[in-house]
Amino acid sequence: MRTDKLAIGLGKTVAVAVILVWSLFPIAFLVLSSFKPGQDIFAVPPKLVFSPTVQHYVELWNGWGVFFSGLLNSTIITAGATIIAITTSTAAGYVYSRYSSRMLDASVMFLIIVRLIPPIVVTLPLFPIINAIGLNDTHIVLMVLYATFFVSLGTVLMRTFIDQIPRELDEAAQIDGAKRLTILRRVIVPLAAPGILAVAVFVVVFAWNEFLFAFIFTATKAKTAPLVISEMIGSIDGVDWGVLFAASTVQLIPVLLFVIFMNRYLVAGLTAGATKG
Amino acid sequence: MASLRLAGLKKSFGAVDIIKGVNLEIKDGEFVVFVGPSGCGKSTLLRMIAGLEDISGGELYIGDRLCNEVQPRERGIAMVFQSYALYPHMTVYDNMGFGLSLNKTPKPELDARVREAARILKMEHLLERKPSQLSGGQRQRVAIGRAIVRKPGVFLFDEPLSNLDAALRVDMRMELAKLHRDLGATMIYVTHDQIEAMTLADKIVVLDGGLVQQVGSPMELYKNPANKFVAGFIGAPKMNFLPVKVQSVAGDTAMVASDTMSPIPVKGRGFSVGDPAWLGIRPQFLKPGPPTDGEGALRGRIALVERLGTETIIAVDTAENERVVAAIPVDVELAFGDAAEFQFNPQAAHLFH
Ligand SMILES: Nc1ncnc2c1ncn2[C@@H]1O[C@H](COP(=O)(O)OP(=O)(O)O)[C@@H](O)[C@H]1O
Ligand SMILES: [Mg+2]
Repeated sequence: MRTDKLAIGLGKTVAVAVILVWSLFPIAFLVLSSFKPGQDIFAVPPKLVFSPTVQHYVELWNGWGVFFSGLLNSTIITAGATIIAITTSTAAGYVYSRYSSRMLDASVMFLIIVRLIPPIVVTLPLFPIINAIGLNDTHIVLMVLYATFFVSLGTVLMRTFIDQIPRELDEAAQIDGAKRLTILRRVIVPLAAPGILAVAVFVVVFAWNEFLFAFIFTATKAKTAPLVISEMIGSIDGVDWGVLFAASTVQLIPVLLFVIFMNRYLVAGLTAGATKG
Repeated sequence: MASLRLAGLKKSFGAVDIIKGVNLEIKDGEFVVFVGPSGCGKSTLLRMIAGLEDISGGELYIGDRLCNEVQPRERGIAMVFQSYALYPHMTVYDNMGFGLSLNKTPKPELDARVREAARILKMEHLLERKPSQLSGGQRQRVAIGRAIVRKPGVFLFDEPLSNLDAALRVDMRMELAKLHRDLGATMIYVTHDQIEAMTLADKIVVLDGGLVQQVGSPMELYKNPANKFVAGFIGAPKMNFLPVKVQSVAGDTAMVASDTMSPIPVKGRGFSVGDPAWLGIRPQFLKPGPPTDGEGALRGRIALVERLGTETIIAVDTAENERVVAAIPVDVELAFGDAAEFQFNPQAAHLFH
């Protein structure tokens, strides 16, 4: 009995360890390499002991100004996409949760089906249109595009969250004199905050890392950080791996911190909802 | 303050008629209780008055104003929900002040009104708490406080006490009665509990199947129930109903009898000879012992004796297999299976179709 439990416990620990190593190894490799002197990066066997240097970061700063403007673009686009996605999803989720009609019920199916089509199929034909209305290489086109990919999932998620908020709260607020938008802002949004954060995490991670659509729809003015990193690989004077790793680390850190920070709220929010009863 | 008039009020959900034409006058300052079994449409009717449900037919007047299409916030009402419906993310203070803050009431006035309501409900010390840090009874007070702060003409309560334990329920009942005396506002109160109805109401509205069965003061309903439903619903233990046949009719008195009961005269209108009818006798009017002259009699075997201290509840199964309940103010030497005989004054009995 006791040895059984011990074995299971050990098994679990090993499994968790394997998963951790599996997912952390690339990140650790990336971050460590960015601090290694150039000749140590691909040394065989890999050097675990080395004298750390910020040389690659200095080179990045001095030689790749375009990377930092890419980061700025990424930040603007990610923030914009996130704001559009959570606003739309919350408003739509509220409507789906609180109203019911044949049209609405049918449109839920539509939301889900649309999401099953590969985005690229829907998006590529937009290229000439976007060109024609002069939105090519602007922040706004990627903001709208990224937000759009998550509105269906976000709406379904927000609907589930808002379903858990008793309708009587809306009604109490209605009697208190609140109009629809006030109810949404003052009652629903604060209580659905964990859901909103969850949607935000999805959008932020996606928008921050997205490559393909950024590649198609931007050129210079709105170029995002992942594009600049890819250019480093195709650089004419050969790949400077140290700078590449430094850039990747800089690109990785904010979103990693964001997810770790949000994770606490996500878990807290989800369990709080579960035990409210 | 406000009076109300409901004229032929109707509500259907799709093809299902829930409220089938309710006519009612409510005077300014009256405490009116809607009572009826679960599912009879009490909440729906209250929510129509609140403006939370659309009105399918008829007219609703609050004061002199036709309110069918008026937004809830403009009806001058406040509502206390069964689940309290407090805003979980706001403090008690903000819960109570929310309505006033929405209509841009100046801060000092808002503060004064919230504190006044808190004083009335003796919960000044709870103002900074969140609803999750309150007991059920305290949440109930906050919900009532939120209503008071709005100074509505009409208070609407939907089973406000049903989530409280029995002792607290009795306390809150008395507090609500006091609140009504102090504020003098019109109150409409929904409950399925006839004791709450009897103790709180100036006027009881008995509902069943989406229709008003009877309107009257508690004692009017108790003494003169309009039909078998009201008679069975008001009063505890429930009124006994025995099947009888009408043997003769003289004015508003009918002679009725059954196989096991000799003929007795009972007040009742609209009966003709040969009609089947229900003889209604309240348990409190049954007395142990054989009938003396002119009294009705019931015989059977004791099925159950419950000694409550203040009274003894005795269930008797008659020879016709009817279960009859008697409530006797003294203890009696009776046990399960004993043969027993009860008598009653026919003038205290009711006759229903
Ligand atoms: N939104 C709704 N849609 C359909 N039927 C409803 C709705 N609300 C209430 N009902 C029905 O109306 C009837 C009366 O409900 P309700 O007024 O809540 O009863 P009560 O409060 O007297 O218990 C019930 O049969 C209920 O199922
Ligand atoms: Mg109800």
